[in-house]
Formats: sequence, structure tokens, C-alpha cells
Amino acid sequence: MSRFLKHAAVFLAIIVTLAPVYWLITISFKREVDQFAAPPKWFWFAPTLEHYLDAFVTRSFGGYLLNSFIVAISSTAGALILGTLAAYSLARFRLPRHLDRKLALWILSTRMFPAIVTAVPLFLVMRDLHLVNTRLSLIVVYTGFNLPFVVWMMRGFFAEVPRDLEEAAMVDGDSRLGALWRIVLPLVVPGLAATAVFCLIVSWNEFLFALVLTQTDDAMTLPVGIAGRVTQYGIKWGVMSAAAVVAMVPILAFAISVQKYLVRGLSLGAVKG
Amino acid sequence: MALTLRRNASDRALPYVLLAPAVAVLLLLTIYPLIYSIRISLQGESGNWTVQNFTRLLHDQFFLSALAHTLIYAVSALTIEFFLGMALALLLDTQMRGRAIYRSLLLLPMMLPPIVVAVVWRLMLNSDFGALNGTLKAFGLHTESLTWTASPKLALVSVIVADVWQWTPFMFLILLAGLQAIPQEPYEAALIDGAGRWQTFLHVTLPLLKPAILIALLLRTMDLLRVFDQIFILTEGGPGFATETVSLYIYRTAFRFANFGYAAAMSFVLLLITNVISLGYMRMLQTRD
Repeated sequence: MSRFLKHAAVFLAIIVTLAPVYWLITISFKREVDQFAAPPKWFWFAPTLEHYLDAFVTRSFGGYLLNSFIVAISSTAGALILGTLAAYSLARFRLPRHLDRKLALWILSTRMFPAIVTAVPLFLVMRDLHLVNTRLSLIVVYTGFNLPFVVWMMRGFFAEVPRDLEEAAMVDGDSRLGALWRIVLPLVVPGLAATAVFCLIVSWNEFLFALVLTQTDDAMTLPVGIAGRVTQYGIKWGVMSAAAVVAMVPILAFAISVQKYLVRGLSLGAVKG
Repeated sequence: MALTLRRNASDRALPYVLLAPAVAVLLLLTIYPLIYSIRISLQGESGNWTVQNFTRLLHDQFFLSALAHTLIYAVSALTIEFFLGMALALLLDTQMRGRAIYRSLLLLPMMLPPIVVAVVWRLMLNSDFGALNGTLKAFGLHTESLTWTASPKLALVSVIVADVWQWTPFMFLILLAGLQAIPQEPYEAALIDGAGRWQTFLHVTLPLLKPAILIALLLRTMDLLRVFDQIFILTEGGPGFATETVSLYIYRTAFRFANFGYAAAMSFVLLLITNVISLGYMRMLQTRD
């Protein structure tokens, strides 16, 4: 009996979790008459692709999608390169006066900053540099956003690699960086890949800085593009839902690809900007 | 170093060289903007130094009500998310077939882009064709007065609902990880002592779970106090200013009225509040024994 109740409770929680997402997906495939139907049509309706074509062919969501991809991939690459080097240093070297530990804590603490606190001055700086409405401005900001997370994740992964391996390589005449590149990095590739996926999610999802730094179609990312439609009068619900579904798909793919590291990454606050 | 490696000058510099680029980027993106906004918050229109921006805060009705909304939002969402997250964590801490799949499914909302969460809840809560009212009506309930995001009274409830839906999974995740880290022995001891389930939970589980609870509450509190995305997209702070939080008011001040100095002053107050609260949590964490 109690076992039945337990399963029922979990089942209910899963319904509440998934039903709203399912509703979004149905709206994106419904003709307008079905969208406004009362009582709501949860299951039976004639599906259509018109909203997807409208959003991504007629309107400029294809461009936003491209911007999102470019910004997410470039900033992830930037954060991985800088963060991995720093993480290796923090994992392997003891600096005088516990500087290594202090630096690691400081790096983590930069994540605690409310985004709105840095958004105002960063906008002004980017404006002075004529970088507003460029993808570059977002790439730079997201690289910084993801750096603390990369440093902390990779520091953990490096610490799991025995020192003997690279020291043996160094005795054989390798330089420290040569040993890092040829011996250590290949061993942490799974962790590196998982870290990359979390960075992609953060950059892909980020909203506030994208809103502040991009106001034209040249650099606008998908979330800001959708938000621009949401707050207008006479909302095209189908177009908006279709774009939201497309914004969701990569996240699902990412999440499935890091199943094994999901708990570790998410607990570290991976997906929050 | 265990081995007798040649340690010349370039070897000694290596740790710093590896750290330098990351530290430089973080300094440029956090410390420099902070100094920049200290300067603009303390400068008057003619470039003179003044604390006007800070004294003005005390009499600004918009700021004070934004602060009130932020606190109501944070406290309600935190409380609901904690109890729901705890219940889910306890449920899934037991032996159950398909547990790993259930856990992954329950974590989905916290990974979604905030924009998608906001769109989802606009579709659910819309008073004309929303799934929630439509379904309630199908069960014979009167939904005419439930206008959710369009109602001054229910708008704050609506944005809290969306937050609870998206972030209860995070609470659940941290608490479940905490539960699974508790060893078996204390439970066996409690069983031998003849403690009931409720007593075991109160005297064994809760004390051992305290660090995880505090960390989960700390991280959620930080995020709730700075909340921006979902509210901006769901209600834009409206109707009227019924759901305007401090972050939204800062945004409006800076990017609608171009009053950057005043916005910077407000963001310091927000920073101060979040820091004081997180220090409180940290202290509780340290005195856990």
C-alpha cells in the first residue's frame, strides 16, 4: 500500500513537471483554432508545421538561432581554454601563502555576483568600446561567466589523475606542458566534454546580458528574439512556441549526453547564469 | 616535488603563467565593472562627488516596493521549494524501480532556458485559452476571476508558481545528494534504540542533512534575491508594478531612463543584501556541530 502511494506521488510529480512542457509542444504544432479551443485539446488535434516555417523561414528566428550557436560555441571554447590552464595550475602547484587556495575561492566567488550588478557597468564599457550589438561582446561576457565553473570542474578532474603519470613523462624528457597535452588531457577528456556541455547550456540559456547588449538582428540571440515577440501586443502564440521548442531541443540533447555527470555539474550550479 | 626536476626560472613562473589569462579576464569582467559602478554611483550630473543616489533610495517608493516584492517572492518561493524538494528527495531516496529515470525527468525544468519556462507559463496561465484554467473549467470550477499574470493580486503568485516549477528540482537534487551521503550506521543504531520513523527523521536524518540543507537554501536564496529573467518575460514587472523586483527596477532605471548612476547605487544595495544573507548562512554552516 505504502509502496503504491509512493509510486503515485512520484508519478504525480513527473506529470506536473512534464505537462507544461508537453503543452508548449502541442501549441507549437496546433492550428490557431485548436490553440484557442475550449476545453483545451491536450491530445487530439491536426498537427501543422506552419508556425515553424513562419518563425524560421518568414521571420528572422533563423538568424537568432545562428547567433545563439556562434556565441555559445565560441564562449565555451574560450572558457575551456583559459579555465583548463588555470585549473591545471591550481590542481598541481602549491603557491606561497596559500595563494592557490585563495585564488580558487576568489574565482568561485565571482559567480556569486548578481548579474544585474555587472550588467550596468559592462553595458557602459561595451558602449564606449563600440561593441554593443556585436556577437563579440556576448562571447567575451559568457567566457567570463563560464570560467569559474570550468576551473572548479576541471580542478576536480585533474586531481583524480595520478601525478606519477606526467612526472614519468617529464623524466623521459617531456616539458610540463608537453606532459599536460599528451598524457593528462587525454585522460580527462570525458570530464572536459561534460564541462563543455554545461558551458554550452549556460551560454545558450543566458538572457539578461543578451537583452542588454544586443538590440538589433545582427547579434540578437534566440532568447532575446523570443522575448521581443512575447511582450508585443497581438502575440503570435504559435510562432513563439515554435521558437521556444527549438530553443529547448539542444538542451535536451546536451542533458542526455552528460547523463553520467549530470548530478555533479548541476550541483555545482552549472546551469545558472 | 618528489622528483629532482630541474627547476629553473621558467618552471617557477609556470603556475602563474597558466593562471594569468583566466584571472585577467575575471578581473576585467567583475572587479573593473565594480569600480566603474562605484564611480558612477557617486557622481552627480556635473561630475561632482555626492551620495545623493544613495540618500534618494530611502524615499523612493518604487525602490521600497520593489524590495518588498523581492523579499515576498524570495521567502515564499524558498519555503515552497524547500518542502517540495525535501518531500521528493525523501521519496526517491528509497529503493524504487526506475529511480534514475525518474530523477532525470524531475531535473528537466532547471535546465531549460528561462525564456522557455516563461513561454510555457504564459501558455499555461493565459486566462483566455490557458491549459490551467481550461482544465479547471472542465472540472466545473469557476475561473472567471483567475486572470493570473494579468491580475494585480495574482501576478506575484503566478511568477512564484513558475519559479517553484523550475527550481524545486534544484532543491531536490542537492537534498537527495545529501541524503545519499548519510551512512547506514546511525539508522541501524536508531532502529536498535526502538526509535520510530518520525523520531529517526528528526534526530538522525535532519542533523546529518543540515549542511546540504544550508547549501541548498543559500544557493537558492542568492538566486531568488536577484531574480530577473522569468519575471521580465512573464509580466515585465506588471501589471502596473505589481511584480517589479529590485533587479527589474535596476534594469528599468538604467535601460529605460538611462539613469546609470542611480541604477549602480541600487545594485550596491542589492549586492550588500545578498552578501549579508550569505554570510549568515556561512556562519550557520561553520557552527554546525
